[in-house]
Amino acid sequence: MDREYTIIGTRMTRTDSLAKVTGRASFTADLKLPRMLCAKVLRSPHPHAKILNIDTSKALRLPGVRAVVTAADAHGVKWGVFRYTQDHPMIAVDRVRYVGEDVAGVAAVDEETAMEALDLIQVDYEPLPAVFDPEEAMKEGAPLIHEEYPNNVNIHVHIEVGKVDEAFARAHLVREDTFHAPGEAYSTLEPYAVVASYANGYLDLWVPNAGPHVRAKALSNLLKMPLNKVRVRRINVGGHFGSRSEVSPGDLVTSLLAIKSGCPVKLVLTREENATCTRQVHDIKATIKTGVNKDGTITAKEFRVVYDGGAYSSTGPIATSIPYYVYEEAYRFPNVRYDGYRVITNKGIRGMYGCHGRAFLGGNEMQLDMIARELGMDPMEIRIKNGLKVGEETATKSVIISGGLEEPIRLAAAKANWAERRAGLKEGEGIGMGCVAVMCGFPMGFRSGSACYVKLNDDGQATIVTGICDTGMGNESMAIQIASEVLGIPVEDINLVNADTEATNLDPGAYSQAASFVGGNAVKRACEEAKRQILSFAAAKMNHPVEDLDLKDRTVVSKTDPLKKMPMRWIVREAFFQGKPIAATGAYMPKIDFQREWVKNPYGQMAGTYSFGCSVAQVTVDRETGQIRVPYFVAAHDCGNPINTMAVEGQMEGSVLQAGVAVLAEETRWSQGWLLNPDLLEYKVPLACDMPEIEPVIVRSNDPEGPFGAKEGGLTTRMNAYSAVVCAAHNALGVPLNEFPLTPDRVLKALNAAKSGGES
Amino acid sequence: MIASKFEFRSPKDVEEAVRLYREFEGEAVYLSGGTDLVPRMKLGLEKPKVVIDLKRIASLTTVEDQGDWIRIGALARIFDLKQNDIVRGEFPALEASLEGTSCESLQMRGTIGGNLLQNSRCLFYNQSEFWRRSKGFCLKMGGESCNAVPGAKTCFANYCSDNATALCTLSAEIELSGPDGTRRVNLEGLYSNKAERPFEIQPGEILTAIFLPKMRSVGGYEKLRVRGAIDYPLLGVAFSFVDGTGKLAVGAVGPRPYVVEIKQPFRDTVGEAVETVLKQVKPVGNTVLDPDYRKQMIPVLAGRLVNKVMEGAK
Repeated sequence: MDREYTIIGTRMTRTDSLAKVTGRASFTADLKLPRMLCAKVLRSPHPHAKILNIDTSKALRLPGVRAVVTAADAHGVKWGVFRYTQDHPMIAVDRVRYVGEDVAGVAAVDEETAMEALDLIQVDYEPLPAVFDPEEAMKEGAPLIHEEYPNNVNIHVHIEVGKVDEAFARAHLVREDTFHAPGEAYSTLEPYAVVASYANGYLDLWVPNAGPHVRAKALSNLLKMPLNKVRVRRINVGGHFGSRSEVSPGDLVTSLLAIKSGCPVKLVLTREENATCTRQVHDIKATIKTGVNKDGTITAKEFRVVYDGGAYSSTGPIATSIPYYVYEEAYRFPNVRYDGYRVITNKGIRGMYGCHGRAFLGGNEMQLDMIARELGMDPMEIRIKNGLKVGEETATKSVIISGGLEEPIRLAAAKANWAERRAGLKEGEGIGMGCVAVMCGFPMGFRSGSACYVKLNDDGQATIVTGICDTGMGNESMAIQIASEVLGIPVEDINLVNADTEATNLDPGAYSQAASFVGGNAVKRACEEAKRQILSFAAAKMNHPVEDLDLKDRTVVSKTDPLKKMPMRWIVREAFFQGKPIAATGAYMPKIDFQREWVKNPYGQMAGTYSFGCSVAQVTVDRETGQIRVPYFVAAHDCGNPINTMAVEGQMEGSVLQAGVAVLAEETRWSQGWLLNPDLLEYKVPLACDMPEIEPVIVRSNDPEGPFGAKEGGLTTRMNAYSAVVCAAHNALGVPLNEFPLTPDRVLKALNAAKSGGES
Repeated sequence: MIASKFEFRSPKDVEEAVRLYREFEGEAVYLSGGTDLVPRMKLGLEKPKVVIDLKRIASLTTVEDQGDWIRIGALARIFDLKQNDIVRGEFPALEASLEGTSCESLQMRGTIGGNLLQNSRCLFYNQSEFWRRSKGFCLKMGGESCNAVPGAKTCFANYCSDNATALCTLSAEIELSGPDGTRRVNLEGLYSNKAERPFEIQPGEILTAIFLPKMRSVGGYEKLRVRGAIDYPLLGVAFSFVDGTGKLAVGAVGPRPYVVEIKQPFRDTVGEAVETVLKQVKPVGNTVLDPDYRKQMIPVLAGRLVNKVMEGAK
């Protein structure tokens, strides 16, 4: 069979892999600049307190200290992703709201001196009553953490579609359950670090980020500097998972120290600081009510979800919505009411997560299995029956243009031999299925789109310039592969300039799953325009009809006459001669309803397209110890069409770890406002030995908008692998499991509760 | 980063090491594999002025058959020891506990002596200086009361050596050399039963060797942990059967292993032995699983282990 594409869809070694596996790739903490100083941050020792006074004079007198900054050096601008959520001063002004909050920064000649200086800063606090549980925080009389949020409710997202109460009244079966999952910690391999250098009025920054343009904009606001004076530079990023989406207090502290000291400054956070002082994952309690017809059709859904947001808004409205959206993007809900409350507490700030909403998603899917069981249906059957299809709209009015839920379910089930495997389960074994669909991009105003420049160099090689950012998933390699396919030159002929705010144009960044669908489309369009220019010169030079020409193996070739060809570099040089060098721009703006707003108007087209996925997990449960193992896993993900098959599979396999195995172990533990497991010993990231056998299944729906039909590459697995294991454990045990993660103590408690009169 | 500066010394024999310790009395620590000490120094739990590295003392690393006893040098690496023929042939409980210790890359660094002398652990104690200072010092740091059980005047930190639990079932003895000479005691005599200072050991004493009676045993070790490797035990249960007598030891739920002798037929006596242990242990919420659950697992793991070992012995 003739391959449709030359390099798209191959199992190509990613262009960044060699440098990373050989340790040659530099990350922010590796950077060294002349005269560079070391920064350290003084942090709040109180969960909630007034700051009465800060005296930095002793620290400034310590030899080797070059600058000390406090809120007095900042510009009084508060950070928030939206205008209505700007509540975080980044360096505490008169109040601290969590243990670890940034209070002051020091730049000194070495780390020891900087740490010594921290001890010399005298801060007088007046401790205030604190609150750590979101439901306590919502009660009348609870300590108010921000004046502007009554009852500490930071965000309330309300969605109402159809006639919910009527539909429940008419439903054949109604179930209501509550599920809870504690927060989690991001476990990126790279510690958060910032290098800032200030000279000639320009601030250069190297920082692990998921979108340099968005980061630069936030910093220009916080520093009250013109946007063009703040330059975020490209640097390798060692993991993201949502934690690098937003500007971090360390960015501001380091920038201020560089400006004040006149020297480059580097801040590297410890693992503890990463866990407590960057972002964390929301603790979620979800009450889910579902009504169905006799045949298993979902007729009504009602949700009340409480999110522990920690001390500030962060991505509040988005975080309060996403778990619901990725669920309504998978299933048809004719009548639905969603109330999401994000509540402020005196704990670290919670942000976005690659697998955000575990209690919600796992809970919904387990409840669907309970309903299927009562109706005598197969879990697969009830999912297919309610799954959205191409052409349908989600409850909040997003049209599905490719994929649909049925195919991933059928392909996952076929790979896993669902029916046979289910029928052949032994005592203590279970099998479960989890489904979800994910938006590729979401509304970010004019920053929702991406633009790319390409130029052909005189040796026939190409330079592509794009804002696409790679936080470890292979986006750089993806952009190069797309350019290679369009321009007919090998990947080694392509230079990539990316993720640098000065050189590149806008791009939404490596979150909201936009990189391949949006950024990749812009690269493709720019290269197609360059190709059009090349072929037009070639047609004249070769005296051959342009429509019969193509680019292949660094050569302009005839589609019909194998003898008719010319090296591409000859054409490129000809273009230079004629004073019209090959240079092109391409841009892509997804078809999104920009009237849509997370809180005020949560209706309309959310994203250009959606990916669909289904995971199937098999588990074994030890009923005496409550210990669960996951020996076997199938992940089916509709990525539209894989740009790099191996990279997509890699994303899916990583996702199985991060959700499908993490469901057994990962959680943050607290003693009031103190995180008990900020390290990687007691915070249980699964290990290689805990991994199941994984069978990745790539589903091809060939998206009509995506570049070469591509959508995002693997996030559905990260969102539904958790649910699959939860459902498998429920299948094995036959009792509701309402508390996640499924650590053995929780499992045994659920078994004992069922034994002593609970339902099964 | 290790915040405090220190001098590093590498003596060639035990006498020189002890002499160095005396020279810097109160400011020196001994270093073996470092898998316990180095993280403690990074957290500021230890701030020695001098670190005396014992790894250059060759005599501390060997395993010798002395006839009635097997002598294991305290600096023998966990990874080497678990592959030692004598260990594998005679002491299956020890072999299993060595295999269960952390992960292979750390087994290649960690030593048996260091594993025995690891400090007791608690989620409220093994934290950075910033964390501990902001929370307020607990008993083990010289504070007024426990942070894991607010107000309590007892320290509940857990002694998490996998191998000590196994060695206790094998009637191990240990040799200590210090400023006042050399002494040999039962391993169980090492423990103070006080979690804040878990060892009865004199300043400057070096654990030089472990002695095991050379008698073929059957046995095993069961470890409760969340992940398949790296984790310290949340509960460790060891059992060895030597010459008609069984010994059961339970670790990681208090300041020392709890050891009980059991007589055959075990089906009737294991329950009683476990009861004896259950009366002594008080797990609290200072590690990652629910304390009641950890206690509940003692009879489960003990029952399974004894059955498995005795089945295998048939």
